[in-house]
Amino acid sequence: MKKPYEWFEERFGITAIMSFLTNKTIPQHKHTVWYYTGSAILLFFVIQMITGFMLIFYYKPTLELANASVLRIMNDVPLGWVIRSVHSWSASFMIALVIIHLMSIWILKSYTRPRELTWMSGVFLLFVSLFFGFTGYLLPWDDLSLSATKVGTDIPRSIPIIGKWATIFLRGGEDVTGDTLTRFFGFHVCILPVFAFLLLAFHVYLIQKHGISEPLKQENQKTKLKGLPFWPNFIFRESIIWLFLIGVLLTIAIFLPPHLGHQADLMAPAPEGIKPEWYFLFLFQLLKIFPAKILFFTGDTLAVFFIMGLAALFFFLPLIDNKPLEQKGKAVTVSAYVFLLFVAIMTVWSLL
Amino acid sequence: MKIKESLFTRRRFLNALLGGWFASLLAVFVYPIVKFVFPPYSEPDRVDLPLAEYSDMSPNTVRNFPWGNKPGILKKNDDGTLSAFVAVCTHLDCNVTYLPDQRKFFCACHDGWYDEKGLNIGGPPPRPLRSLQVFITEDKIEILKSGEGSNEKTL
Repeated sequence: MKKPYEWFEERFGITAIMSFLTNKTIPQHKHTVWYYTGSAILLFFVIQMITGFMLIFYYKPTLELANASVLRIMNDVPLGWVIRSVHSWSASFMIALVIIHLMSIWILKSYTRPRELTWMSGVFLLFVSLFFGFTGYLLPWDDLSLSATKVGTDIPRSIPIIGKWATIFLRGGEDVTGDTLTRFFGFHVCILPVFAFLLLAFHVYLIQKHGISEPLKQENQKTKLKGLPFWPNFIFRESIIWLFLIGVLLTIAIFLPPHLGHQADLMAPAPEGIKPEWYFLFLFQLLKIFPAKILFFTGDTLAVFFIMGLAALFFFLPLIDNKPLEQKGKAVTVSAYVFLLFVAIMTVWSLL
Repeated sequence: MKIKESLFTRRRFLNALLGGWFASLLAVFVYPIVKFVFPPYSEPDRVDLPLAEYSDMSPNTVRNFPWGNKPGILKKNDDGTLSAFVAVCTHLDCNVTYLPDQRKFFCACHDGWYDEKGLNIGGPPPRPLRSLQVFITEDKIEILKSGEGSNEKTL
């Protein structure tokens, strides 16, 4: 067995890679736990890929067949309901972890110079994840997903000049139709994965280039922290967390499979009690509470500008928080908690 | 190199020329892509419904009909006239429904309300429902895109 290994080693150089991973260390301190969120996101991303590949074998992205093909996955395909349930729940887990990952970086200020681009690519990855969730929500083509998509794709219309075109681009026409379904399928299984991969590669490259960030005070004092070897120590600890998360995911997926409503009818009125996925609930509530008119503007236009403003602030956070240890830095940390509180209140309110 | 009479160097001129050439080349490729992703669309100017199927409507009831890709609502008023609306909420495009006992149109997405004439009266909708013109001929109901004037015609 030694021969093939040496043949491969001579051409590929596994030893060099392994020694790189052994020498790479993860800083150890009281906030180390947050490092694990990043790789846990990767776990769910891989689960999404595998279950996604499986679902495509049976799913049919057309107006006539979409709902029936999902019904078939749920009822007839062996273990189909588990695969769909895992895909649906794993998406939620992934987005929850992306949010936790970003919030931990906001509060620990790991995005300070020279890691601004790492943060920005991370925020982009959040947007890509949300768009994955949004496009995936339509694919079962039931009454709830149709209404959610009508609302979601109509939101950009309030943006002056480009808004109308953005809506037509997303829908593949003026209205949500079978074309929208096919287009969303294209986004979900083809365009977004390519973007996600490129962004992920960029993100991981930047993390490698700058090294893993340490808490600000330590980094300023230039004290070298005790490191944990990436391989095997960190990976082994990580695996424990991965196995635990897979256990939780499977348990929830088996006991709470996602609902599948009646086939969407383009002419039917919106069903009562429509709700988007949990990560859009605070936006949903925000759109609901803005009145029809505020001064000279329509409410939804202002709501859209408010949301875009928040997104821009979030994206440019490392450039705003450029003096992290001074007064301004403290205000930015407080704003993280205020933002969390705001989202929590809006989310709970939407469920009442 | 820059001769005395010139405003910029030869290198800068050539770079700009080459850059401009690349930009136009890019535009040549981008234009068809943009054209391709925006499909042609036109809303119908007119929809005809067979009168016989709608003549038995009692007052304060509605019937749906397809207005292109959108749902339309035909409503029989108390005085026997017919009104027609595009049954799409002016807030964020959800399909609305008519609640006869409350004499209101209702959008379930964000709790939007319109009165029986389609006027926005509660919740986030910024404008009234789009109304359509209704004309009755011998055997059909003609529904036309609304211009000026009334949207009610006697049956």
